[in-house]
Amino acid sequence: MDNLLVINQLTYKRNMRVLLDDVSLSIPAGSIIGLLGDNGAGKTTLMRLISGAATNYSGSIIIDGEVDKPTMKGLVSFSEQLNGAATDAKLEDLAKFYDTIYPEFSMDNFNQLVSNFNLNLKQKLSQLSKGMRRNFVISVTLARRVKLYLLDEPFDGIDSMKRKKIIENILAWMPDDASVIISDHHVTDIANLLDQVVIIKNRTIVNQIDADKIREEYNQSIEEYYESFYKEVNDHA
Amino acid sequence: MQFDDKVPIYYQIKQYIYKEIIIEHLNPGDKLPAVRQLAVDLTVNVNTIQRALSELVEEEVLITQRGKGNFVTTDMEKLVSLKQHVVEEQIEVMYDHLTELQVTPDEVLEYLTAYMKQRKEQDNG
Repeated sequence: MDNLLVINQLTYKRNMRVLLDDVSLSIPAGSIIGLLGDNGAGKTTLMRLISGAATNYSGSIIIDGEVDKPTMKGLVSFSEQLNGAATDAKLEDLAKFYDTIYPEFSMDNFNQLVSNFNLNLKQKLSQLSKGMRRNFVISVTLARRVKLYLLDEPFDGIDSMKRKKIIENILAWMPDDASVIISDHHVTDIANLLDQVVIIKNRTIVNQIDADKIREEYNQSIEEYYESFYKEVNDHA
Repeated sequence: MQFDDKVPIYYQIKQYIYKEIIIEHLNPGDKLPAVRQLAVDLTVNVNTIQRALSELVEEEVLITQRGKGNFVTTDMEKLVSLKQHVVEEQIEVMYDHLTELQVTPDEVLEYLTAYMKQRKEQDNG
């Protein structure tokens, strides 16, 4: 498989603090990757940098062979793009807004996604429950036809039935050659979905491994592997 | 479908399809759902389904028709030996567990016969 995303020696500092420290990572095309790590380990920062939200880093990020920032932004859909949206806006107006700013936004796909989630487009963003808001975020994120989807804690505060619905929509809607990176600290939610697991700790990537390899060679669940890995590294530190 | 997260998912999908064939939810010559559909139904990713299916094709349990999809083999001999193989695997697990407890092969047979007698009465009663 070709690599869709290649990150080399990425270091990012802000206000004298190191937020990401020498991160190198390659993500194959057409795969689902679990980005696992404690709160504060650097998951969201890494996703922000991949999405092109900040550029003053050292090292390189290459997406689908591209290094040109505006081109790269058109290849990535990040679930946090809704931060800063006006909360008194109706969902349908927000969708129109995204349709104008993102050339690869598909209103057809969006409409099908929101109907799968039973969302009412006449509602305002501020009227949505936490779960409905998540569903709306996922709908907007997946309605863009891109190469790389970054879903930051998509199941945070979502009950298990709704989780399943979100997962089904991810599986049904991701384009064949696209990849998805999902960050989570409740690994069990997404364990079945993953091709690979990337473990991030103390602002750097400490491991990348095939999900079925964990089960086959270590006879461990992904959760056990992830937790033991964290513990092991702590013990040696 | 509930997965055991300690067992490779592709392996569990293979077992699931074996079972569907053995209990005739899938019959000889039946077409399997599209890969993407199976992925959504079982909530696993497309690559994992692909891996399970390609191993089943290699084992000739499934036959791929170009552009049409995957079909259950119509080779009855193959299907009979599939069932034999799956049953044997289950017995093997049980046998290994019992010999670990130092139960002798003769005792295994005795225990099994007694258990089946008891179970039959239970299930019929």
